[in-house]
Amino acid sequence: MAGAQTHRLGNGGLIDRSAPLNFRFDGKAFSGLQGDTLASALIANGVKLVGRSFKYHRPRGILTSGSEEPNALVELRTGARREPNTKATTAELYEGLEAASQNRWPSLRHDVMSVNQLFAPIFVAGFYYKTFMWPAKFWEAIYEPAIRRAAGLGRAAGVADPDHYDKAWAHCDVLIAGSGPAGLAAALAAGRSGARVILCEEDFVPSGRLLSDGGTIDGVPAAEWLPRTLAELAAMPDVRIMTRTTLFGVYDGGTYGAIERVNDHLPSPPEHQVRQRLWRIVAKRCVVAAGAIERPIVFAGNDTPGVMMASAMRTYVARYAATPAKRLALFTNNEDGWRTVETALGAGLQIAAVIDARADVSPAHRSLASKGGFPVLHGAVSGVDGGKDGVRKIAVSLTGGARAEVEADGLAVSGGWNPAVGLTSFHRGRPKWRDDIAAFVPDGAPPGMVAAGAANGDFGLGACLSQGFAAGAAAARDAGHNGTPGAAPVADDEAFSLTPLWHVAGKGKAFVDYQHDVTASDIELAQREGFESVEHLKRYTTLGMATDQGKTSNVAGLAIMAAVSGRSIPETGTTIYRPPYVPVAIGAFAGHHRDETFHATRLTPSHHWAVEQGAIFVDTGLWKRAQWYPRAGEKDWLESVTREVKAVRGGVGFCDVSTLGKIDVHGPDAGAFLDRVYINTFSNLAVGKARYGLMLREDGIVYDDGTTARLAEDHYFLTTTTAKAGLVMQHLEFCRQVLFPELDVQLTSVSDQWAQFSIAGPKTRDLLKEIVDPAEDLSNEGFPFMGAREVTLRGGLKARLFRISFSGEMAFEISVPARYGDALVRNLMLAGAPFGVTPYGTEALGVMRVEKGHIAGPELSGTTTAADLGLGKMMSTKKDYIGRVMAGREALIAPDRQVVVGIKPADKARRLRSGAHIIPKGQTPGPGNDQGYVTSVCFSPTSDRWIGLALVERGRERIGEIVHAHDPLRGEDYDVELCNPVFYDPDGGRQRG
Amino acid sequence: MVEFSWAPRSPLEHALVTGAHGTRGIEAGVSLTEIRNFDLIQVMARRGKGAELAKAAKARFGVTAPDAPKAVQGKDATLIWSGPDQFFVLSAGGKHTLQTLVPALSGPASLSDQSHARVLISISGVKARAMLAKLSSIDLHVGAFLIGAAAATSMDHTSVTLWRGNDRPDGLAVFNLLVFATFAESLWHTLLDSAAEYGVAISHSEELA
Repeated sequence: MAGAQTHRLGNGGLIDRSAPLNFRFDGKAFSGLQGDTLASALIANGVKLVGRSFKYHRPRGILTSGSEEPNALVELRTGARREPNTKATTAELYEGLEAASQNRWPSLRHDVMSVNQLFAPIFVAGFYYKTFMWPAKFWEAIYEPAIRRAAGLGRAAGVADPDHYDKAWAHCDVLIAGSGPAGLAAALAAGRSGARVILCEEDFVPSGRLLSDGGTIDGVPAAEWLPRTLAELAAMPDVRIMTRTTLFGVYDGGTYGAIERVNDHLPSPPEHQVRQRLWRIVAKRCVVAAGAIERPIVFAGNDTPGVMMASAMRTYVARYAATPAKRLALFTNNEDGWRTVETALGAGLQIAAVIDARADVSPAHRSLASKGGFPVLHGAVSGVDGGKDGVRKIAVSLTGGARAEVEADGLAVSGGWNPAVGLTSFHRGRPKWRDDIAAFVPDGAPPGMVAAGAANGDFGLGACLSQGFAAGAAAARDAGHNGTPGAAPVADDEAFSLTPLWHVAGKGKAFVDYQHDVTASDIELAQREGFESVEHLKRYTTLGMATDQGKTSNVAGLAIMAAVSGRSIPETGTTIYRPPYVPVAIGAFAGHHRDETFHATRLTPSHHWAVEQGAIFVDTGLWKRAQWYPRAGEKDWLESVTREVKAVRGGVGFCDVSTLGKIDVHGPDAGAFLDRVYINTFSNLAVGKARYGLMLREDGIVYDDGTTARLAEDHYFLTTTTAKAGLVMQHLEFCRQVLFPELDVQLTSVSDQWAQFSIAGPKTRDLLKEIVDPAEDLSNEGFPFMGAREVTLRGGLKARLFRISFSGEMAFEISVPARYGDALVRNLMLAGAPFGVTPYGTEALGVMRVEKGHIAGPELSGTTTAADLGLGKMMSTKKDYIGRVMAGREALIAPDRQVVVGIKPADKARRLRSGAHIIPKGQTPGPGNDQGYVTSVCFSPTSDRWIGLALVERGRERIGEIVHAHDPLRGEDYDVELCNPVFYDPDGGRQRG
Repeated sequence: MVEFSWAPRSPLEHALVTGAHGTRGIEAGVSLTEIRNFDLIQVMARRGKGAELAKAAKARFGVTAPDAPKAVQGKDATLIWSGPDQFFVLSAGGKHTLQTLVPALSGPASLSDQSHARVLISISGVKARAMLAKLSSIDLHVGAFLIGAAAATSMDHTSVTLWRGNDRPDGLAVFNLLVFATFAESLWHTLLDSAAEYGVAISHSEELA
């Protein structure tokens, strides 16, 4: 067993003495107990120094016992799971835990960077803005990297997180943040009323400060009341208590964000389990019972290890039976601080002195002091003598001016309590000041949200219980539940008399923001330099901008600003509160959506067949499409693609085109509807025929294209491009529902209903004859170009055949219900075997369409008109259609527009690349003479050279001209010849044959 | 002459592995069953023919077609709301195919066959709601999503139709999911990821129960 737990009490606490846990901190072995946090375990082992500060590398200890901790940040775990800036105060201890201190070199005790303190005068507020300004080019190369090495917090793991995260939704009537007395009372009232309740508790056990402070509720000790209450709540099926869960954000419409640390308390998540889970909670009402945060007092040396918040001190003693000090002093400005003295005395600790800033101390406490044999000093702590080994002596300025010294190894500080106003302020509600507690309380909370108990500025146990209960009952009622909540739990209120004290003048650094090393003098300097607004103060000094978001520092900081600027604290105001309330790992927001599951994928009906063939796939939007089908011995993609193209042009091949969008357009007005959305006419299309269509956006620019077949008088089958399938469906629905509600037309997406293959090449008919019922007439007369009809396949299956061609070859598209797609592709291979049928991928498809001069995505770029694409003649003059008027705008019909033209390299051996810019030959490239760019290129096996399509100014008038292609991205310059974009079979004889 | 076989293949044929998945040694908290053979017809009322369609549907199925997000059990068919004046007809055994429904409904409605455009997955088990909460923003609480409740919603950025069927004989709720066929394998993996911690029992059934 490592370590003796020298600072563990012999009894008491909510730790399991029969369950020791071994852990390591900075490589040294220690032992703690089940129920410990890393912080409490370190304290139980007498460890005081846990980290170095951000800027000055000052030794730091543990300040708090909760998620507001600014100092005790460690790197938790090792390797890929290493997680920087983990708060030791909330990290649950587990067997084998490994943690390391941050921001020190070579070791925590001997940190050479602590020389930064000597340069403190230049690290004042705004030092980034004031120093390293010259020479300017030194900033990126020298200054910034040096500063980043010297400052900063922990190190990221640097490799992929091996754990998984997921996201979930929850719904309830009443959401409660915090399970202290107010939260539990709210849950009781809402649950008894019949409401669905979710209670989020950040800690790993519910009950909040009841665990540390105890008290008497309904006449019994809290330790007795708690199990009874938790059992009652557990018995309610619609009350859900979520521990290890922090409510971190408030969003519109009663939606809340919460992070559940599902398995952070284990070395690694059990198999199949996630590390953390992000919750989106939809709640009708929300009760914020998030408690309050005790605030430090700013005095010289207040960051010495061993100086700790008074409430944290009694939490470590009462809840964890761990003693941060043997001989303890208390510095308080309020009654609540004295409870730490009571707890410490109860645990047998020595009290060195109480330094009380108030004029009076209650008689009860006076007699406690005389019984305990310790002095009560009226005044304030003005300095701390100590260092990395902790507090040794405390300097006190007594009221009246005298000085005193107190020998102690720990100093508990209580400057009062700040209600946790984060959640209630996330919708820009500005908290309001309450003089009696000298603190901001919630105001302007989001709709449906109320604060109760300490979160509302009412700190007494009785007030917490009664307010929480009332808020829970009201929330349940508002959510429509009228059950009887019964009687509220009852307790007395403790006294809370406070004399505000923010800052004690003295020699030495007095810290306001521990995590960002912002001192009282930084704030005074900011004020002197004109950064008086709290928002300016924040940016100039970085006050409240660390990972703790200033939970312990903001109010003290603006109180000091108020004092030096001669304003009241409410006049000085607060900065804007924004979620998240605690840091949330990006992994939790990503959930399962990482790596291959970053987004959903769509698979074609022939996907698994293509995998069997060894196809290479390309991501096309969400789709996985077969890009080419390599064969043994082929040295690169070009060789495979060239083979596929030649096989189609010389024989027959097929390609899965199921990714095209497919829409059933039904109804008596289907033709009229299509006439309005396409530039050409469809109402006169004969049943059994297909036609190519082009649609424009309202602004006259081309939107999408595709073929549409008329299958019946009142039924068209429309196809879209793969990329625009979803968008065109939305567009058409908008047209149907909003623009043309008078038309009787119905739209149904049938994209996934059909497996569709393009079969192309001179031997297409030979292949089809093998697979189609012999009774079907596939001759040019029986099935002419652009014909479309249902046919029967051998074996009886019905299919649709469309005689359309993208490749320029004799081609059909065949479609069958999608679950037969796999059978169809296998049967195409069987039927086509005698003809050397060759499956081809999107690359070969692309080559053949470029050879044929067909436009596709690169030309449908959102900037081109129908005329630019050479399709101006399709624009009907006999009817109106979407985009018609705007397409007539001057700029869209200007004669010098860039239009689609073919290009071929002047040097026949040259490779073309898309993206190259076109400039007149002999001119120096530049924006002034940029005449367009190359949109699509391919190696054309048919022409045995690279060819391409380009958008070129007045391109069609310049056929034959040699222009210059300028490609600064690849550093290439070469000449190309403008030519007819139809490189292959310009008469179209092959596809009609 | 080559003999062609025309065996249908489910989009989940590859991904679905019958048996246990995820955490072992406990009773599976989630049961996932793919139903492979079904007919699914999209019915959309023609303009102004909503009432006429309702009448024709009543005559055909013996129940009133849903006019709100609900699934209604009719004669040999489940009618699932999919939008104003439109619904799906889900059936098995060839009782309500496109061919048989066209004569009955095509006067007041437009019909599209979606039998191959969707995959049907039935989800149940003591952890079914916990698992679905990871995928769906719909409140599936026992008192909020009653038997017959339906939603056209999304899971994992994928459009789905979700409805609650009749409870299992052991009283546990059953959630039915129609997902676009080409998205099915992708969503299936997300379902497994979300359910793995509870233990999953995977099966498929040839026929709609």
